[in-house]
Order: sequence, then structure tokens, then C-alpha cells
Amino acid sequence: MARGKKQKGGRSAFSGLSVIASAVLLFMVALPTFITLTVGLLPSMAAFMFDRSPGRTMARCVFGLNFSGVAPYILELWQIPAQTVGGATQQIFQPLALSIMYGAAGLGWLLYLAMPPIVANVLNLSAQRRVGELRKTQRGLIKTWGDSLIKEVDRSGN
Amino acid sequence: MAEQAEDQEQDVSKSAVQQPAMDAPGGGGPVAAESSEEPEAGDEAKAGVESPSGNRSVEIGNFRVFMDLRLAEFDMGHCKAYSADNLRRNEGSAFAIVADPALPTRFDLINFFTGVHLAGQIDLLDSEIAHWPPFGRKTMVLFYEKPKGGRVAVKSEKKKLAIDEHDLGSVVVEPLMNVLQALGEKGLAHRNIRASNLFFADPLREKVALGDCAGGPPGYDQPLVYETTARMSADPAGRGIGNGTDDLYALGVLLAELGIGHLPLNKLSDQEIMDLKLSKGSFQAIASQERLPLILIEPVRGLLCDDPEERWGFNELNAWIDGRRTKPVQANSEKRAARSQNLSGRDYYTVRALAQGMAKNWVASLAPLRDGTIEIWLRRGLADNDRAKALADAMRQLQWAGADKRSAEDVLIARAILIMDPSGPVRFKGFSSMVDGFGYMLSYDVQHGRGPQRFADVVVRDVPAFWFGRQEGFSPEVHRLQQLYKNLRYYIQQQSAGYGYERCLYATVRNQHCLSPMVEQEFVVEISQLLPALEIAAAEASEDTWPVDRHIAAFIATRLEDDVEGQLMAMQNPSDEVEYSRAIISMLAIVQWRHGPDNLQNLSHWVARLMEPAVKVFHSKARRERVENEIPKLAKRGNLVELYNLINDEQERRKDQSEFVEAVAEYSEAESEVFDLESSGPARLELAEKVGQQAAAFASTMIALLTVSALFLMHMF
Repeated sequence: MARGKKQKGGRSAFSGLSVIASAVLLFMVALPTFITLTVGLLPSMAAFMFDRSPGRTMARCVFGLNFSGVAPYILELWQIPAQTVGGATQQIFQPLALSIMYGAAGLGWLLYLAMPPIVANVLNLSAQRRVGELRKTQRGLIKTWGDSLIKEVDRSGN
Repeated sequence: MAEQAEDQEQDVSKSAVQQPAMDAPGGGGPVAAESSEEPEAGDEAKAGVESPSGNRSVEIGNFRVFMDLRLAEFDMGHCKAYSADNLRRNEGSAFAIVADPALPTRFDLINFFTGVHLAGQIDLLDSEIAHWPPFGRKTMVLFYEKPKGGRVAVKSEKKKLAIDEHDLGSVVVEPLMNVLQALGEKGLAHRNIRASNLFFADPLREKVALGDCAGGPPGYDQPLVYETTARMSADPAGRGIGNGTDDLYALGVLLAELGIGHLPLNKLSDQEIMDLKLSKGSFQAIASQERLPLILIEPVRGLLCDDPEERWGFNELNAWIDGRRTKPVQANSEKRAARSQNLSGRDYYTVRALAQGMAKNWVASLAPLRDGTIEIWLRRGLADNDRAKALADAMRQLQWAGADKRSAEDVLIARAILIMDPSGPVRFKGFSSMVDGFGYMLSYDVQHGRGPQRFADVVVRDVPAFWFGRQEGFSPEVHRLQQLYKNLRYYIQQQSAGYGYERCLYATVRNQHCLSPMVEQEFVVEISQLLPALEIAAAEASEDTWPVDRHIAAFIATRLEDDVEGQLMAMQNPSDEVEYSRAIISMLAIVQWRHGPDNLQNLSHWVARLMEPAVKVFHSKARRERVENEIPKLAKRGNLVELYNLINDEQERRKDQSEFVEAVAEYSEAESEVFDLESSGPARLELAEKVGQQAAAFASTMIALLTVSALFLMHMF
């Protein structure tokens, strides 16, 4: 168990290091893209920092939609032949762009909040339907076998 | 025949007035009171037809019996004689002997004598169980051919002897020997040989014939003097079946009575006769009190020998008839003590007399037993060390007795009596019966208000086992009785229906009618009579009673050829209504299947009413409804077998049972699943949260992938 935890911790540290390494590499190779990603994915970074749940599902939810909101602006940035930090900064600080990126992150968070109750309702409905089916079967058995069935069930239960 | 009967009307009416108790069951005993009255108007309808001469008569089998025409001269013991017409035959003249319904008749002798002509015995023409209006119930009626010479008149002091004493050999002994030999070949005993039951077989009065011996328990009607020293101390009903030597003893007393002209020792009370016979021996007792004709001294001495081994047999009697001398017998082999043993103020000199004294003074006899007085008397007074040792052993066993000291003391007294009189009856606190008379004694006790307790006490305390242990040598008869006793003990120890004293009663007395209150009036002796009797009872049966009670269950278990132990086992637990009702219906159905009749409408309806628990044998409501619908239809047909088959369709039952088991399992599983579903709310919420979050993460990831893919594609194309 301790070994497993250690391995997990090691893998997490490794992925953290790889993210930092990627970020440093990106900073050195494509600074405008790095700036756009850093600013655009701020909610995701916050989510990854605060989400301590196993599997970090909330962070993954926020990141998925947050990235969907950032991705068009990265592509748009890449389409400019001379990528400059100013162009990237100008593009990213437009209110609409920030709204889209952070709004998408917010949608991810809403998705994370809304999904469990929906699943719970589905499961409850399914259970109720099953209980109904079973009660109907029991009523049918009592109709066929009478009270002796109940007595026998009680007797065998005791 | 009818004319003769009418001729006797006058005499008969007189005797009927003189002896009103004669018409009562129980011989004027406890049962007699109510039925000793003349039949009421309502009874007359049952009484059958009124003959042209005004006599009430009833048709029984092939005979018409005239209830008003008593034939007192043919009364045989407690059984009363009535004039009868044979409806099938003109020759001969018959009369009817009406047995007391409260006393069992003797099946083996009725079977042996019916339709057989045997010199020395009056002809038993037929026997029937029929309604006898004066009793208001059914009873056994025996039809005999009238002996042509009438009753043997015993001479009074002033009259001449009916048979010359020199002719007694040919007139009396020869025909009686013929009967005794015929009975002996079948292992039977007459047990009713006495002067008052002797008739002349022919008008010339050259031969005599014995009267009825089957109408009551063996030896029941015998005067005490006719009983051997072994059997005389038993109650009349418990004197036992006996054997040929008992009949030969009675023949000896009969010869003495015919010789002296009156009942020997008739001036003495029963107790005095017993004391005299025990102290002097049977022959000496009679010879010392009566003047026996010289010619009869030898046979009477031989026949009254108290040792059955030494008693005269047929060879000696034949030799006597032929005028040859036979070996002399010792009149009294009983050892007399040099000094007496006192008990309750009386002195006893012989062990048998002391045994009888102990039986009469039950409580007082314990002290001399416990302080060893009797043991010392046996050692010093009689020099009988064997008996003394047996008594010492019995007393030692008393010391091992547990908490029930009182019962152990009673057993000690009973054993001491058997040690001192091993051939005598089993005596226990007022109960006194030969082992071969247990059945008749029990029957008497049960039907005369004493109940079965005395018999049960004797058997439960295993007193007869001690009696068997005291018998010397091997005797097939004793061995047979021992086997029978083992069964009786088993029966009496069982509490459930079909066992108990009831089973003992029917197992020991073949002609005992079923004493169940439901059928007692119908006098059911044979198993084939049971269902017709129940059919009559069913017409007025209350709805909550069962058609099989303890008596009927025991009666069926004894009389039916088939084994019904399974049904009796099921009846052990009346609270299990299903098995209880099935067992009862099963027993009745087997009886109907074996013995009919085919149509028992009332009984079927009775059974049908009680089948409700048995229907529960099916679990399926549909099957139950089908059975419930079928029951009234089958009940109408009066067939119990069909009713039983309806609830005992083994294949259908097995199918129902297996389906029921499956249904129970299915129901239980469903119940369990419902419980799981209803009780798993929090767990389901937890699961839903986990699954929901994972689903959201998955959806989010998929949206991201789709968005990026779409943007790339848009960029490329």
C-alpha cells in the first residue's frame, strides 16, 4: 500500500515535472502561445490547485471545456505569420475572448455540479421501477399461493 | 314352534315378572337399571311385528324371537333364553340366548360350535348381532337347538336323583369327555361345565349335553366351587380362558353335585369355600362337608386334584368308566406349616391361603413383609427356602426404589403374593385376574364403571412379568401369553389415539364390541360393521366432532388386516390439523376399500365437512378451489376412497409442493431485492455522485477533443 502510494506520488511528481518542463520549453520556443495558454487556462490551473479529490474530476471538467474555449484563439494566433507577444497580449485581453475562455471554464464547472444529481435521479427512477416490478411479481405469487406463502416465508425467515 | 312358544306364555310372563333384571344388560348390574323397565311405546316400533297371538317378536337372521316368551328353564348363566322360531327350517325347535351387551362373548367358541353337531353339547345353530328392544340396543343373540330332555334336575333331599349315580359315567362323563376332547384338539376350553348348565340331550334322558359356553367371559357364571384353587380367587370376569384341566376339575365338581344332589359347599360363603379349599385341598374340602356317594369318591378325588399335572385326564376317566382301577392321587399336595402366620387377626398355614389373605388385607400385609416376618415363616415354618429367597430378593428391590416408594411397596406386595401363589391370579390392590383373563377383566371393568385404571396400574408396574418369571418349565401357552403381554405393555405406555387401554381391550378380546360412544349401541364386533354403524351415527353427528375417536382408532388398528401404524403416528399430534385429518380420512377410506359398503352418504358428508384442514395439504389456491369444488360432488357419491384420493394424489401433491418451494424462493428473493433497493438510498447517492463526476469529466474531455478536432479540420479544409 505504502509502495503503491509512493508510486502514485512519484507518477504525479513526474507528470508535474513534465508539465513544468513543457511549459519552460513552450516559454522558450513559443512565448505568445505560452502567454495565451497561461492566461486562458487560469481557471483550470486554479481548479487543479484546489481540487484534491481522487481523480480530480472537477479539474478535468473545468479543463476540458476551458481548453475548448482557449483552443480557437491558439489556432488564430498560430495563423498570424509573425507571432509576437504584443499580438498575443492584444488578442487575449479582449473582453469577448476572456469571456469565452472563462465562460467555457465556468460551463465545465457547472457540468461537474449538474451531472451527479442527474445520474442520481436516473438511478432512483430505475430502482423504483424495479421495486414496482418485484412487488407485482410478489402480488402474483400471493394470488396463486395464498396466505400460506407468506406464512412459509415468515417461518423460513425465522 | 310358535305354538310351543305361545303355550309357554303363561309361565314365561311369571318368570319375567319375578326377575325384572333379566332383561337388562349388565346382568342387573350398574348398567341394568335403566333398561330393566318395560320397553316404552317408542321402543315397540323397533320391536318389530306383533304376532297374531299378541306376542311381540323380532326377526333376527333366520329366526323370529318372541320377546315376551321367556324360557327360564333354558337360561344359561347370565344369558336369558327366549322362545324363537326357525324361519328356514320346520323340523327341530330353537330358542334364543340373549347375551349381555356389557359382557364380551367368546368368538373362538362361537366359531367352533356354530353349525356343528357334537354329542355332549347342545347345537349352536347360529349367532347374530341384532337390535334387542328390551335393551334398546344391539347385542349378540345365540340360537340353540332345544335339548329334548330339558334341564337336568338336580335332586333335592326329598326327590329322586335325575340320573342314577351308577349311570353317571355313561350318561354324563362320556358325552362331556367327547366335548372336552373336541375342544382340546383345538386348544379350547369350555369353562362353563356345571350342573345348572346341563341338559338331557334326548327324551329318554340317556345322554346329557352341556349348555352355552360362548355367551360371556370364560368361567364368569361358574359358582366358586367349580373353579380350581388357582383360578377361584380371581374376579369372575378375570378367571381366564383356562384349558382342559380346568374343565376336568369342573367335571369333578359336577359329578359331586350330581351325586350329592345340590351344589357342594352351598352353605358356605365364597370366602369360606376359598379358605376351606386352600387349607384342606379341593377334594377334602368337599368330602369333609358333603356325603359323596361311594362310587363317585374315586373320580371326584382324581378330578379335584389341585395339582393339574396329577389331575385325572381322559385315560383315567375311561378306565373308571370301564371299571378299571387307576393310580391313586394325592388329594392335597399343599404343604402345611408347622406354625401359623398371622395376618390381620387370622392365622394362615399354607402359602396359597396366606397369598389370598394378603390380597384381601393389602395394606396390613406390608408390615410383616418389611419386617421379614413372612420370610422367616417361610424358612422356619415351611422350610421353603426357595420362596424365602425370592421374597428376600423382592424386598431388596424395594430398597432400590426411587421416589415413588408407595408404588414400590404395592409392587412388593403383589410380588410376594405371586411368590407364594405363582399359579394364581395377578392380584394388585383389589384387582385379581388370571393373566389369560386380562382382556375379559379389562372389558368388565371398563363396561361396569370401574374404568381401566386398575388394569393399567398392573401393566405399567409390570406385575405380570413377575408372574411369567415365576412359572416353571416351558409352556407354549405361557409363551404365547408372554408375547401378548409385551404388546399390551407397549400399547398402554403409548398415550396417543389407537393405543392405550383401548388397544389392549380389542387386542385381547376378539369379540369385544367397539366401545366408542358413537357406535356402542350398534354393537360393532367386526370391522365390516364399523362403517355402517358410523353411517348411522353420522346422521346426527355434531359438526365439530371427528368420526374416529380413541376407541375407533384402536378398534381399526386391531381388527383391520392392513397396517395403520403410519396413520396412528400422524394422529399423535392433533394440533397438526392437516396430517391429523388426512390420517383419519385415510383410515376410514382403507376400511371402506377393504370391507365396504360402497355408499356411505352421511359419513362422506361428515368427513367432507371435516376435510377443510386436509384440503390445506395443497398450497396452490387454484388446486384448493378445485378440491373444494370436488368434495361435495364426491361426498354425494358416498365414497370415502375417492374423497381420500382427492387429497392424496401423490403426483399432484409433489408437484404442488415443488412449485410452492420455488414460489417461496422467488418471493423471498424478490423481497430481499426490494429491501436492498429500498435501503440503498445513501449508497446510491454516493454512487450517483461518483458516477456523475466521472461522467462530467468524461464529457468535458470529449468536448475538448471534439472542439480541437473540429478546429483543426476547419483550419485544414
